This record gives sequence, structure tokens and C-alpha cells, in this order.
Amino acid sequence: MRIRRLGLALGVLLASCTNNPYPDEDASRKIEYLAFSEAPKTLDPQVSYTTTDQVVIGPIYDTLLEYHYTDRPYRLIPGLAREMPEPETRDGHVVYRLRLRDDLLYQDDACFAPRATRQVVAADVAFSLMRIADPLVNSPIASFLSRIDGLMAFGERLAAERARDAAFAAKPVHEQYAQLSGIPGVRVISPTELEIWLTAPHPQLLYWFAMPFTAPVPWEAVEHWDGRDDRDAFAEHPVGTGAFRLARYDKRTRIVLERNENWYGIRHPEWRAPGAVDPTRGRPLPFLDGFELRLDREDIPAFTKFLQGYYDASGIIEESFDRIVRDQRLSSDMEARGMQLERAVIPSIYYLGFNMDDPVVGMPAGTRGRALRQAMSLAIDSREFMRIFQNGRGLPAESPIPPGIFGYDPEYQNPFRHVDLERAAALMKEAGYPGGVDPKTGRPLHLTFDTQDTSSRGLLRFQYFANSWRRLGIEVEIVATTYNQFQDKVRRGAYQLFMWGWVADYPDPENFLFLLWSGAARSKGGPNTANFADPRYDELFLAMRDLPDDERRLEIIRQMRALLQDECPWIELFHLESYMLIQGWMQNVRPTGLSIPTVKYVDIDTAMRTRLRAEWNQPVRWPLAVLAVVVVLLVIPAVRTYRRERR
Amino acid sequence: MLAYVIRRTLYGVVTVLGVLLLLFVLFFFVTAPEDIARRALGEKAPPDAIHQWIQNHGYDRPWQEMLVEHYRRMLTFDFGRSDADDAPIAKRLREGAGPSLALTVPLFVLGIPVALVLSLLVAFFRETYIDRVGVVLCVLAMSVSMLLYIIGGQYLIGKLLRWFPISGFDPDPAVVARFVALPVLVGLMAGIGSDVRFYRTVFVEEAGRDHVKTARAKGCGEGRVMFRHVLRNALIPVVTTVVLEIPFLFTGSLLLESFFGIPGLGSLTVDAINGNDFATLRTMVFIGALLFTVGQIATDVAYTLVDPRVRLE
Repeated sequence: MRIRRLGLALGVLLASCTNNPYPDEDASRKIEYLAFSEAPKTLDPQVSYTTTDQVVIGPIYDTLLEYHYTDRPYRLIPGLAREMPEPETRDGHVVYRLRLRDDLLYQDDACFAPRATRQVVAADVAFSLMRIADPLVNSPIASFLSRIDGLMAFGERLAAERARDAAFAAKPVHEQYAQLSGIPGVRVISPTELEIWLTAPHPQLLYWFAMPFTAPVPWEAVEHWDGRDDRDAFAEHPVGTGAFRLARYDKRTRIVLERNENWYGIRHPEWRAPGAVDPTRGRPLPFLDGFELRLDREDIPAFTKFLQGYYDASGIIEESFDRIVRDQRLSSDMEARGMQLERAVIPSIYYLGFNMDDPVVGMPAGTRGRALRQAMSLAIDSREFMRIFQNGRGLPAESPIPPGIFGYDPEYQNPFRHVDLERAAALMKEAGYPGGVDPKTGRPLHLTFDTQDTSSRGLLRFQYFANSWRRLGIEVEIVATTYNQFQDKVRRGAYQLFMWGWVADYPDPENFLFLLWSGAARSKGGPNTANFADPRYDELFLAMRDLPDDERRLEIIRQMRALLQDECPWIELFHLESYMLIQGWMQNVRPTGLSIPTVKYVDIDTAMRTRLRAEWNQPVRWPLAVLAVVVVLLVIPAVRTYRRERR
Repeated sequence: MLAYVIRRTLYGVVTVLGVLLLLFVLFFFVTAPEDIARRALGEKAPPDAIHQWIQNHGYDRPWQEMLVEHYRRMLTFDFGRSDADDAPIAKRLREGAGPSLALTVPLFVLGIPVALVLSLLVAFFRETYIDRVGVVLCVLAMSVSMLLYIIGGQYLIGKLLRWFPISGFDPDPAVVARFVALPVLVGLMAGIGSDVRFYRTVFVEEAGRDHVKTARAKGCGEGRVMFRHVLRNALIPVVTTVVLEIPFLFTGSLLLESFFGIPGLGSLTVDAINGNDFATLRTMVFIGALLFTVGQIATDVAYTLVDPRVRLE
């Protein structure tokens, strides 16, 4: 009897065995599930810059402008703004007038108590811009908005006043901002209108309006969510205007977003606002009930769960790449499961850089240095590198400008960006290092490659470059140091070669070409780590920067490209390509390349998802029977031994 | 006995104070606060923000003041805020204890009886093929790395057999069991070899003693001999290991939690190491030292309870 009961209990237990990580009642709800491997650093829209941060805050903080979901090249459309702002010239300034829609509400939040929410007003946008300028907020983009009249000076005044007057520093920030009368170039005209006054043209400003950095933030939230007395910090408690709101923020397990019923698209479908209608189907957004990110630190379990149907989209892990993608197409096995493969070239550039201040490889070496750089470029095979280290994912780069960005020319071939060892050897001779030998020492030319990546994987990659250069007779030593030591070297200019990458903030050539502008030199805290400083380039850059995308701009970009080709401050490697696997039940998913929030456009066929999940995850029970038989086989001789002993 | 416990406690206090001093030297002298701040704020953080961060976290004061503050905080269990994201550490500990216990308590409660029964069985059949096969299996099980159990378990049970989720955690009582089932199973497999081998040795030794022979000579059944005479008398070494484990139920399991994505105190420690979160790490090391000391005292007391011959003087 007891054994039968035990068997029954085991049977019930086995029947309830499931690998489904979600509560059963969620099956019918339209919730998109994705994995995340590293928690967001911050959810403060004025600060967050990493991809994970953007995935979470993108759907929460609506922006003034947005990118059209399907149009390529990228096109901006109005978001919270009523229409696209046009620049006007007034009193020697360029002025943008932004008009907000007049019935926008924040999500419900305790910071608005006793009310549940309040209207979004133009002063909130001004408050966000002041936060960007505030040195204590530590926004990474203040310098990019420095053409807003008085923005940088506002930050300096704030810092000075805080240092001078402790009572001032103790006040809530919105009071501090008000006391200093805000930023002169940001003028609130009415509750729904504000003007941005620029000291010089800055057409890229509109792209910054399409990022969460400039999204309106209620001062009440910043004041209330101060991280004291068990209250969350504002960086962990977003209060936005988007289609979704944060329902649960548990960085160590899951991040849950749910529909924000206060969103204008839900409250005012009759507006048919461009940011609230699906451009392909014409239906009001959003389609999902929620969006959930689950922590999966390790690649393999996360990918396994994707293959089991428990994540709706996933990148492809290196270990499984060849099994899943064949000849850049999905394998038949995956196709039979109804999966879709979405490929997109990310507007990015990865390159090897020379420190142009260095006496051997840089400008001080004059034409010798240039010949050396050109020779070194001719020894590096980007295709081979991508094949070995990233399953061939990427597009070989010929210039800093990636596909999808104005100025990219698929026909252009950089004469120094293909392997030609003969020509390289001739250039080495021209550089004064015949056969790679430094005549001063009589030994191979010795260079250092500095990196902050101390992983064995990273070192293998760098060793590939060192091996390539060894074919020219150059000895390159890889010096892997900690982040701080590396930064210190960069500050002191004590480095020769490095590898770096850049992913577009916005789809404009300026966002790539400024990486070699002397105004952005590393020594000035900018991203021009090569310290490239060429007056001809700088002049062309400034002439190109504020032009519209026309023939004139294209011509200047060609001239800049020719100059970079000859001077060779970088060895362009590749533009990254993302391979995304999407489950068959996902609808309306499009790869964007840029980090644009797309959750509101995505739809799910939940019936299909439930059916396929059940089909793919039938537990295999026969090993239990085998186990039971093995136990019985073990017990029988044991019992016999016992009986014999008793006798 | 009371005098002994008081004396042991005083020794324990001295040990913990010493650990705190070591912690201070390691974490305040070896690492520059600028490095921690930069790590927390990102590479582009302006000097003002770095300075403000160091000031907010109190890393800019003279070392004597920091030492006093360090002792005050730890000894009053006011652990302050995380260096990585400013979250209150006490809150993190409260949140992490539940998931850790959800994993370690079943592991503990199932692990001991299973190991005891198996080792009694092996000891019962000592010097037969069952014993020999059992010992070989135990040694094999002990020799395999924990990581292999984890990866193998995830692959076999999670991926191929699809019995339980391969990783993850949800505190919802309706689903929590399915998340802890696999790590508990893996933990049991990984720990059982050494436990069974150890207990078997104890039982076999006990089974050869005179009082057991006497019991048998008096005609006691083999079951009664094993459970009444062998098990009870062999409990001292068993209790020693078991009691020492109890305090560590709270701190969770570093490897199991990290690999299965269980947000307990074990993975909190791993995260703190990876994220240069020294404030959290200091707290975890301190708690570990404290629990170890408590466990030691508890073991000593447990001796007297299971063995009337032991007197603590």
C-alpha cells in the first residue's frame, strides 16, 4: 500500500515536471521575453548610454522625435513633439521651436502624490537639458550639446555656486536650477512650447531629440526617488511617458515592463500620431501587454532556452553558429522550426589606430611614419580576422563611414586595405626599415600594442595582428594592462597601437568623421584616440559638419576620405553585422541597427507560441523507468545477501 | 559548560575583530578609491563626479577615521551602500537570503538523510561487492568537478530530458520548486560522494566495536544493530560536519547560484567580486567569518548533547 502511494506521488511529481520558466497563466498574454546577461548600469535617461540601459528605458521614456520604424535610410518623425521643428535664424542664433502635444501624461507614480500623474509640460524638457548640463548628474553628452546657448556655462555656474554656498547645494535640484534661472538658450514659451537657441548651426541636434537623453523628466520624480530611507534612487525608478512602464526592477532576476495606460497612443487613438500607429498595418500601437527581460549570465543556457521557445529572440552564440547558419542563411533544421534570421549591418566601425603623436608611427615621423602606417595596413586581412574570430560576421571596412550612413560608397576601395605584402615591403624600405629592420638598432622594429583587454580571447585576437605584422619583419609586443593603467597611458600619450570601435549615436557621417577631428582629441577628453590632427582635415570637417545631405557634402566627404586613405591614422577593420534569430510567432520585427526602441511595434501570435512550446518541450520520461529497473537490479542481490547473512 | 561557552565566544569575538582588521587593510589600502569610483560611474565621468562619489562614500577621510567607521558599521550591522550601484547592502542581504535558503535548505534537508541511508547501507554490506562498488562510485563522484555536474545536469536534465528549467529563478511559490529542483539535484549529486564515503568510514569503524558485537551476541536484529547501536554512537563526527554547515545555509552556494541564476547571497558575492563592489564584498566576508565562528561554537555545544561523555571545561 505504502509503495503504491509512493508510486502515485512520484507519478504526480513527474506529471508536473516542466521546464517552462514562466507561470502558466502568462501563456495567453502577449508578453515578449528576452534574456539579459548584464544588469543595466542606470535607468536615468540623461545618463544611460549602454545598450542594455537603452533596451529598458527606450520603451519607458518617449522622446520628442523618433525614427520611422521601417523607412531606410533612417528618417525622423514627431514623437512627443507635434511636428518636426525647423531651424530659424534670429539675433545671430539658430532657433528651434518645439511644440509638445497638449494632452500628454506621465505614467502613474507615487512621486506625484496626492495625484496619480500630471501633464507633461515644456518645462520638463528644459529640466532634462539642465540635468544634462549638471556636472553631478554626470551625463555623457553635455559636450555634444555645447552649442545650446549657455548650456556649458550653466553647468559651471551650478558647480561654482554649490562650492560657494552649502545652503544652496542642500536645496532640491529643481530649486537650484530655478535660482540660477536655467539655461539662457532654453526658453519655455508656454506650457507646451519651448525654444532652443543655438550659438551655431547644429543640424544633428534633432537626432539628440530622438534619444532618451532629452526625454522629459518630471522634477518630482528626481526629488522623490532620492535613494534614502528605503526609497529607490531615480536611476532605478524611471518615470516616463512611453507606451510601457517599469513594473518590476529586479536586476538580479528580471525586469518587467507593462503597458502604460496613460500613454497618448492608448488614450488618444483618434490622433493617429505618427509614433502611435504601425506604419505597415495602420493599426494603433502597442500590440504587447508587456515585455520581460530575464537574467541569464551564461550564453549557453540562454540560447538553449531560446531553442526551447522560452525566449522570443536571441543572438547566435559562437559555439552553435555553424550549426544554425550555413552560407549566411538559416539551416534547414532551424527553418523547419519556423525561425527567422534577421541580419543587419550595425552603423559602426572597428579599427586599429596609431597614436599620431608617437615619434615612430605618428606625425612627427613625417613621410617615413606615413609609409610605415601604410605598409602595416597592407598586412592586415580583415576578412580573415572576421572569419577566425567572429564567424565571418561583419563587412570589411574601407573607410570610417559604414553602410546606411550618408557618404558610404559601396564602390570605394581603399588601396591600402587589402593584403599586398610586396607593396608593403617596398613601403617598409621607403620608411627606412628595409625588411622590418630598424637601422638604429640593427634589429627588427619594435612597437607596442596597448590594450585594456586582459582576457585570453582578447590576446588571441591581438596576436593575430602581431603575427600579420611579423610578416613585414616588425615585432609587435602586446601590452595588456588594467583599465586604469591603460587610461593613464592614453592620458600621457604613451602608446603606439590600439584597437577601438565606435557605434553610431545617430545616422550622420559627422558622428563618424569627428572621431578624427582634432577638436575631439583624446588629450582634450574626446574620442579621437589616434590624436590625428591635420589642419586640412579639420577644415573639411567643419565645412561638412553642418551641411544638409547634398552633393556638396558628399564631395567634401570624398576629399576627407582621400586624405585619411593617404595619412592612414587608422587601419579600418570592419563594420559589425548583427545576426538575430527570431521565433516564428513574432510578427512585425525589424532589425534597426541603431539602438531604437521597437517594443511597441512588435506583435506575438500567442496561440502559435503555446502550441510550439508544448511540442518542443515534451519531457522525456523513459530514463526514469530505466533508473527504476537499475535500482531494482541493485536491490535484489542486496536482499539476497541480507537473507543469506541472517541464515 | 557555561564558562567554556563564554570563553569560546570571547575567542570568537577576537577572531572576528581580527578578520575586520584584515579586511580594512585589504580593501582600504590596496585599492585606490578613484578606481572604485571610476568603475561605478563609467570611464567618461568628469573629475567633479568622481570627487563627489568618493566624498559620498566617505573614502576621502583619514584612515584612522575610516577604521573606526568600518568597525562601527560592521559591528552594528549597518553595512552602508553598495559601491557598484548605491543600493543599501542590508536590503540586498534581505532580498538574497530567501533565494539562498530556497536552494540550501532542501539541499541540506534531503542531502543528510540520503547520505546517511546510503552510507548505512554500504556499511551494512561492508566487505561485500556492494560496499566495494559503493566506495568506487563515491571516489568517482568526489573526483568530478562541481562545474561538470552543473553543466552536465543542465545539458542532460534541462536540455535533453526537459524535466526542469535549465536555469533561472522566480520567487513565486507556484513555480519556485521547478527552478530549484535541478540545482538541488545537481548539488546532491556533487556532495553525496564525499559524504557517503566519510559516514561509511565512521559507521564501519563503529560497527567493529565491542558494544556492537555484544548487541549481536544478544541476538539483536541487523537493522536494530545498525540504527540503534551503530548510528547513534557514530553521530558525533556526523553532527560536527552537519552543525558547521547550518550557518552557511544563509550565505548560499557560490557556484550553484551563479550558474543557475539564483539571486541569492552566493551570487551576490560573485557579482560583488566581478563588479569591484568592495562594500558588499567586505560585508559578505565579515558575515562569512561571523557565521563560521558561530558554527564552531555551536558544534562544540552539539558535542555535549549527542555524547554525554564529552564535558566542556
